[in-house]
Amino acid sequence: MDFPFLYETFLTLIAALPLTLQLAATAIAFGAILALGLALCRISGILPLDWFARLYIFIFRGSPLLVQIFLIYYGLGQFREVRHSMFWFILRDPYWCAVIALMLNTAAYAAEIIRGGLLSVPHGQVEAARSCGMSPFMVFRRITLPLAVRQALPAYSNEMISMVKATSLASIITIMEVTGVAAKLISETFRAIEVFVVAGFIYLAINFVLTRLVAFVEYRLSPHMRQPAPLSAATVAGEIR
Amino acid sequence: MTVSSNSPSVPAIEVRGLRKSFGPVEVLKGIDLTAHEGEVLSILGASGSGKSTMLRCINMLETPDGGDIVVAGEKVAMKPGPHGKSRVADRGQVQRIRSELGMVFQSFNLWSHKTVIENIIEAPIHVQKRSRTEAIEEAEALLAKVGIADKRNHYPSHLSGGQQQRAAIARALAMRPKVMLFDEPTSALDPELVGEVLRVMRSLAEEGRTMLVVTHEMGFARDVSSRVVFLHQGAIEEQGTPQEMFANAKSERFRKFISG
Amino acid sequence: MTQPTLFDLIGTGPNGWGPALLTGAIMTVLIAISGFAIGAAIGALGAWAKISGGPVLRGIASTYTTILRGIPDLLVIYLFYFGGSSVVTAVGRWFGAEGFIGFPGFLAGALAVGITSGAQQTEVFRGAFKAVHAGEIEAAIACGMSRFLCFRRIIAPLTLRHALPGMGNVWQVTLKESALVSVTGVVELLRQAQIGAGSTGMPFDFYAIAAVIYLAISTVSGGLLQLGEKRASRGVRRA
Repeated sequence: MDFPFLYETFLTLIAALPLTLQLAATAIAFGAILALGLALCRISGILPLDWFARLYIFIFRGSPLLVQIFLIYYGLGQFREVRHSMFWFILRDPYWCAVIALMLNTAAYAAEIIRGGLLSVPHGQVEAARSCGMSPFMVFRRITLPLAVRQALPAYSNEMISMVKATSLASIITIMEVTGVAAKLISETFRAIEVFVVAGFIYLAINFVLTRLVAFVEYRLSPHMRQPAPLSAATVAGEIR
Repeated sequence: MTVSSNSPSVPAIEVRGLRKSFGPVEVLKGIDLTAHEGEVLSILGASGSGKSTMLRCINMLETPDGGDIVVAGEKVAMKPGPHGKSRVADRGQVQRIRSELGMVFQSFNLWSHKTVIENIIEAPIHVQKRSRTEAIEEAEALLAKVGIADKRNHYPSHLSGGQQQRAAIARALAMRPKVMLFDEPTSALDPELVGEVLRVMRSLAEEGRTMLVVTHEMGFARDVSSRVVFLHQGAIEEQGTPQEMFANAKSERFRKFISG
Repeated sequence: MTQPTLFDLIGTGPNGWGPALLTGAIMTVLIAISGFAIGAAIGALGAWAKISGGPVLRGIASTYTTILRGIPDLLVIYLFYFGGSSVVTAVGRWFGAEGFIGFPGFLAGALAVGITSGAQQTEVFRGAFKAVHAGEIEAAIACGMSRFLCFRRIIAPLTLRHALPGMGNVWQVTLKESALVSVTGVVELLRQAQIGAGSTGMPFDFYAIAAVIYLAISTVSGGLLQLGEKRASRGVRRA
């Protein structure tokens, strides 16, 4: 093993880490908001909204992300109206195009996860809130959403990992995040395996930390699903007896 | 502790001509029922007789198809909706009236992500906009009253069914309701846990609270309630004081019902 | 020059890209099927290692799935494409060949997609095996079946039935992943769309057509899979 080369590669790649993280964080954050809206459309019971959300989810989950990135980055520029619109400064920027594509894509997957979470909220707890005189919005904010978030978090953590991995596709539209830099290094040095090992290690590390982070948040958010100390002691005592 | 705020001439709850269908099934066929202040009504009937639906119509968890609900003299405003059924006219009014009615459910329905005390102070703070300190103080008193003061910081999933139901009663009481509605409060409990809940309910009755109780507990109906209402197939078959009803009810069906 | 219409683009006329796009789509399906098949073989081995392997095998299998779940698929494709090329070049030099020898993109792509798909299928097969009722295996052993016979007649068919829905999901993922193989220059659907976009200056039309074709392939194959699933799982209760 050529350790000096590995170390140098690591230094080069780690410099691109902030860009990868920034891409992932922005896409996940905006995507979550969009996903919540889509999930609400799906369960709204209002047919046009439901069908819109279904179609959206079908399209974005059924076609490759890379095609979506190309459509936004290369495709939209085909239209004169887009090139002359006020959004052109965003849509000609590969970074923002990547963020938009990633965001639109993750929203489709996350919408179904959030919908599952919302549907898992026991109806009785919602009724109890309504019977206290809460407004529909307050019921949603104080009861439904907190319960749904706790339920959806494990699945959402998988989606976040997918997004971190998906940021690598931004390299194809010239963004020099970790995979982009790695590809450049490979084509310069022809040492694919070493570069792969280092880049792979960086992604594994990100996803490991991310998984731990979500697990920690989940732990903090769901004390009601854990056994309290005194009760578990009693149970153990009961079992011994 | 007195709960009275209205003159005795105004009934706490008045139900007039209440109708409700689920699809083709007519569950309530025009119910008239009045509960005066301090009265404890036991609502009995076989399953499917519509007794739970009637209770749920009173705080509009089910929207009646027709008829009036009057709470402490205030009529719930309805407007005509599609298919000849009526709809709630003023959501704000319904929400306010709901906060004046304490509902206890068969399956407790405590909010699983909140501790017992958080469950109890939720509505007083966020719906009634009372101060947090006051709400907590009152909640602690209520917990002591229902006998689970030590479970203050437990989550519902860590309590027995009886403890959960007592917490749910405390949650309903915390809104200082004019009327308490109980929807089969002991039906989901193991037999050995029924007693602790009934004891709490009996003490509430003795305080002079107005209570509507849908139940299968004959002992409670006979010993605690001031009036027994017997529903059959969506209509009130007979009502009267427990003495009248349990000694010599006119209804053949009711006599059969109580003999098991 | 007048802009060709969308209809001209997908047609077979002088301006038509229809045949080229169709060939690309067939290539996409071929890559996806090869990758999926490689993945199924790896998945079966991986699941076997995780279920009944010793500590070493289990360690290898779980390292494999952890790594493949945590790193971008694009990186794996680069590894196989560039890494494969350098291995081939080194071997070629050994035999006296001069210069750089490229690794075939199709092979690199299918292998890379297969390895990724294999990690997912390992988990699908493992979960499916776990869903097989222990009593059914006991009953087979009680009939006097040998271990191999029990696996062949009872465990394998039951596992496969439980695995079908999960395999359907993996297939959809694999199909979409095959688009990444375009970076190696293999002229599959997306690469063909890129070529079309470049030579006509109509990127939106071409990528939109590509997206629609991907949706069509995934919908049709999804429908077929569901049909097969229904047939295969008669008598299996759905959770």
